[in-house]
Amino acid sequence: MTSINLALTAISLGAIAALSGIGVLVTYRTNGVLNFAQGGIATLVAYVFREMVVEWGLPIWLAAVLALAVLSPGIGLLLERLVFRPLARRRASAAESLVASLGVLVLTLGMTAGIWGLGSRGDAPSIFPADTVKIGDTRVGVDALAELAMVAVFCIVLGILGAKTKFGRQVRAVVDDRQLAELSGVPADKVAAAGWALGTTMAGLTGILLAPQFRLTPYGLTLLVLETFAVVVAARLASLPVAVLTALGIAVAQSELKQVTLDGDAGTVLTVLQSNLFIVMLLVLLLVVPRLRELGNGDSGSTGSFSSRGAPPSGPVSRDEARRDVLGKLGGAALLMAPMTFAPADLRSAFMVPALALIFLSLVILTGYSGQLSLGVAGYAGLGSLFTLKLANGDLFGLPAVPGIWAMFIGAIMVAPIGLITGWPAIRRRGLVLALTTFAVGAVVSRFVFEQPDFASGLYVDPLELFGAELGDKAFYLFELFCLGLGLLVVRSLHHGRIGRALLAVRDHSEGAAAVGVDVRSLKLLAFTISSAVAGLGGALLTFSASSFSTDDFAPMQSLLWFTAVVVFGADSAAGAIIAAGFIVAIDVLAPAGSSILAVGILALSLGWLPGGLASAVRGGIAWVARVLADEFVPSAHTTHAAANRLARAGGAVPGMAGAAGATRHGAAGSSGTSGSGGSGGGIRIVLPAGAPRPTPLGETLLVAVANHTARSGLTLEMLPSARAGEADSAERQGLAGPRPHLPGVPVERGA
Amino acid sequence: MSRNDLSARGLVRRYGGLTAVEDVNMDVPSGQITGLIGPNGAGKSTLFSLLTGVEQPDEGKVLLGQRNITRMSPDARSRRGLVQTFQVPSLFPSLTVADNLLVAAENRRRDYAGDLLGFRARGRSGALQIVDDVLASLRLEDIRESIAGTLPTGALRLVEFARALCARPDVLLLDEPASGLDAAETERFSALVRRIADDGVAILLVDHDVDLVFKVVDRVYAMVGGRVVAEGAPAAVRADPTVRSVYLAQGPLTSKNTGASPAGGPSGGGPPADSPPTGGPPAVAVSSGELR
Repeated sequence: MTSINLALTAISLGAIAALSGIGVLVTYRTNGVLNFAQGGIATLVAYVFREMVVEWGLPIWLAAVLALAVLSPGIGLLLERLVFRPLARRRASAAESLVASLGVLVLTLGMTAGIWGLGSRGDAPSIFPADTVKIGDTRVGVDALAELAMVAVFCIVLGILGAKTKFGRQVRAVVDDRQLAELSGVPADKVAAAGWALGTTMAGLTGILLAPQFRLTPYGLTLLVLETFAVVVAARLASLPVAVLTALGIAVAQSELKQVTLDGDAGTVLTVLQSNLFIVMLLVLLLVVPRLRELGNGDSGSTGSFSSRGAPPSGPVSRDEARRDVLGKLGGAALLMAPMTFAPADLRSAFMVPALALIFLSLVILTGYSGQLSLGVAGYAGLGSLFTLKLANGDLFGLPAVPGIWAMFIGAIMVAPIGLITGWPAIRRRGLVLALTTFAVGAVVSRFVFEQPDFASGLYVDPLELFGAELGDKAFYLFELFCLGLGLLVVRSLHHGRIGRALLAVRDHSEGAAAVGVDVRSLKLLAFTISSAVAGLGGALLTFSASSFSTDDFAPMQSLLWFTAVVVFGADSAAGAIIAAGFIVAIDVLAPAGSSILAVGILALSLGWLPGGLASAVRGGIAWVARVLADEFVPSAHTTHAAANRLARAGGAVPGMAGAAGATRHGAAGSSGTSGSGGSGGGIRIVLPAGAPRPTPLGETLLVAVANHTARSGLTLEMLPSARAGEADSAERQGLAGPRPHLPGVPVERGA
Repeated sequence: MSRNDLSARGLVRRYGGLTAVEDVNMDVPSGQITGLIGPNGAGKSTLFSLLTGVEQPDEGKVLLGQRNITRMSPDARSRRGLVQTFQVPSLFPSLTVADNLLVAAENRRRDYAGDLLGFRARGRSGALQIVDDVLASLRLEDIRESIAGTLPTGALRLVEFARALCARPDVLLLDEPASGLDAAETERFSALVRRIADDGVAILLVDHDVDLVFKVVDRVYAMVGGRVVAEGAPAAVRADPTVRSVYLAQGPLTSKNTGASPAGGPSGGGPPADSPPTGGPPAVAVSSGELR
C-alpha cells in the first residue's frame, strides 16, 4: 500500500479525534471544566445507538437523530444543571470540577457496564454506508470524507460563532468572570448550558463514529476517547485549528508507522507505537508544551476543597482524646478482623479489601496529604505486582527466584524509583496538567508493559510461604492486614510531626511553604516515591488475592475509578481509604458487576453538595448530631464530674427509684449504656422531666449513649446556673423525680 | 558589607519585548528599613520576585552578604535567611496559627529522612519556643489554636508576618504588608517593623501606601518603567522632580491620605517641610486595584 493510501485510511480516525477534541475544547472554553466524562458519555451514547438499531430495529437515521439531537445534548444540559452549575455558583476550584467530571465518567461507565455488561460487542452499526469513492487512483471511504466534512463545518461554524457573533462575545465574558458577566446582563447559565450541550453532542458523535471501527467495550471505547486529549493538550486548551491539525497529524503518523518494520526490542516498541501513538503523544506533549492556557486564576492545583483537614495536634493530647482514638482504632481493627470468621469463599472475597486499601492509602498520601492529583496509580500498583511476580518466578534481570513474601516487599521498593522519576514532572506541574500527566504515565505503562507478552505473560502465582509453611487463607489475610498496618505506619509518619506539617503546608500553599524554607521539590518527590511504593505493595497483594495477574486489574481506567473513590470517601482520611476499599469490594461481591462503579459515581456527583467527601460529611454529621443531642438533653455537658458523682450518690440511696418516667426500661438502658464504664449494676440512668413523653427504646439507647459519652469524656465544665438551681434541691427530689422546672433535660446518674 | 545585607547588581528581566526590570542596583542593609515605591507597572513586583527567587533574572546577580544567590530557589534562599511575605496573605488555611508558625520555625534544616525514620523529637522544643516567643511578642496568643483559614484579613497579615519572623530572617521582604490593614493596625505594624529592624534585620518594604513607606523607611528607591529613577533618604526622594512628575499628575506629593487606599489612615507625623500644601486631589489612588 502506498503511503498516500495509508494517510487516507488514517483520516477517518484523525477526523474522529478532531471531533472529540473540539467537544472537549468547547466545554472547556465555555465552562472551564476539562471534561473527563467525554469518554464515558461517548460510550454510553454509542451503546444506546447500537441498542436502538440492533435490538429495537429502528432505522439508522432515526436512531442517529435520537442519539445525537436528543440524548447527547440532553445529557449535557442535565449535567450542567445538576452538577456543574452548583459548582460554578460557589466558585469551585478547577480541581473540584475535575473530580466532578471524573464522577460523571465513573457514573456513565457504571451505567453502561450495569446495563450492557463489561463484555465486548462487535456489531455496532455505522451511520455511513460502507461505500468508497474514487479520488484520483485511490478509493476513500464515504465515512472518512463525511467525517472530514463534519470537522471542517464545525470548525468554521464555531470559528464564526466565536469571533463574529454576540454569542461569542458572551462566551468570552462568561469565561472571563461568570459573576461579572451575569451582573452585566449576560445569561451565563444559558451560555454554559449551550457549551455543555455542544460538548456532549460531540462526545456522542465521537462514540457513534468510533464504535464500528473497534469492538464496543465500556472501558475500551472510553479510554480511546480519553486518549484524544493529546489533541487538546497540543491546542493548549485554546486553539481549535491546532487541535484539528494535531488530530489529523497524529492519525496519519500512526498509520505511516505501520509501513516501518524493525527487528528486536525496537520492533516491539514500534508495534506498540503503531496503535498507541495518541497516548504517547499525550505524554510527550504534556512534558513538552510549556504551559497550557488554563482558565481562571490558576488555582487548579488546589485540592483544598476536598482535602482540608489540618495537622494532628502538635501539642500533648488529652488522655480522653487519646483513649477515644485508641478505641476507634481498636474498633476498626476488629472490623478488619471480622472476615476471619467468614466462610472460606467470603474470606477470599475479602482478600481484596486490604490490597485495595493500600492502593487507596497511596492516593491519600499523594492527594490528601501533599495536594497532588494523581490519575495513574494503577500503573504503580501494576508495576509492583509485575516486579513481585517476576522476582518470585525468578525471571527478573536474571535474578534468582525470591520467596513470594520477600519478593512482594522488594517489588514494592523497586517501584519507588519509578515513582521518583515519574514524580519529577510533578514538581512544576499542578492541577489539570499534573492530573493529565499522571494519567498518561499510567496509560503508557499499561500499554507498553502490562499488555506486552514479553513482560506480562507466563507469570504464575504460587501460594505464599512463610518459614517453609504455605500460608492458608486465614494466614494470607492476616499477612495482608500486616501489610496494611505497615502502610498505615508509613501514612502516620508522613502525617505527623514536622514532615506532616510541611506536607500540609505544601498542599495548602506551596509558594507560602517555599517562602518559609520548606523544600517543596523534595517533599513532593518524597510523597510521590513513598506513595508509589505503597501502591506497588497494594498491587502485589491484589494479584496474590486474585491468584493471577490480569492486565484489566491495572487498566488506566482503574486509576480514574480509584482516584474518584478516594476523593469521595475523604482524600485526607486514612480510615476513609480503608472504608472505601471495603465498600467497593462489598458492593462488587453482593451486587452485579459494575454496581460499585455506579455507586462511586453517584457519590462523586454528590460532592457538589458535600464538599470534603463522604468522610467529612459523616464527620460533620456526627458532630452535628452529637451537639444537638447534647444541647437538647444532656445538662452534663455543663456538669462536673463531682456533680455527676453527687447525683449518683443521691440516686444510689434509692436505687431503681430514680426517674419514674424512665424506670421501666432501666435495665435495658443501663446495660447497653455501661459497656464502656464497666460499672456493675449502677451505670448511667436517664431521668426524664415529669410529663415528658416516654422515649422509644431506640431513643432511650441514644440518650444513654450520649449521656454515657459526655460523662465518661470527663469534660470539666461548669454547671449552668439553671442546672445548679436544680441541683440545690435535687437531694430531696431525687427519689421522687418531681418536676424540675429549671433543668433543661436529662440529668445523668453514674453508678458507684 | 555585613553578612546579612541583600544587594542586587545590574538586574535585568525581560518578557518578550518588554523589559520589566532594567539594570537595577539596590542595597538592603541590615538594621535598616529600605522602601521601594513606584506606580503600577513600574517593575516593583518583578524586582521583588527576582529577589525572592520566584523568577530568575536574565542578567545581573543577587547577593546575600558576599554570597551569590541568583540561581537559588525560593526555599533555599529562605533557609539562608531571606524570607518574604506576600501581597495576598499566604497562610496554610487548614493549619492552626501555631502550626503555621511551627512550619516556618522548624524548616531551616532539610533532613526529612531523619523525621521519616522517627528521630523527630530532636530540636522540636526549640521550634516551639520560637513560636511561643513570636506569638507573645506580637500578642497573638489568643488565636494560637485558631484555624488560619477562619481569620479576618488583618489577623492574616499579622500571622503571616509572625510566620516570617519564625523563620528567623536576616532579610525580610515585605510585599504590600499594609494593604487590608486599618489605620490602627497599620500604626502598630509600622512600630513593629521598626523594632525588628532595630534587632539587626534588613527589611525591604514594597507598598503602594506612599505615606507608610515614607514614614517608616530609612532609605527609599523609586522605580519607574523598570528603572530606579531616584534613591536616597525619604525627604530627598519625595522632592525628586522625576518622582513628583510620575506620581503626581496634578498635585504635589503630600502626606494626606487620598482616601482610596484602605491602608492609608491618617498620617501620624506632620507633613515634611519640603512638601508644599495640597493643590488638588492627588492622582495616587492605587492600592486596591493592584491587589490581584
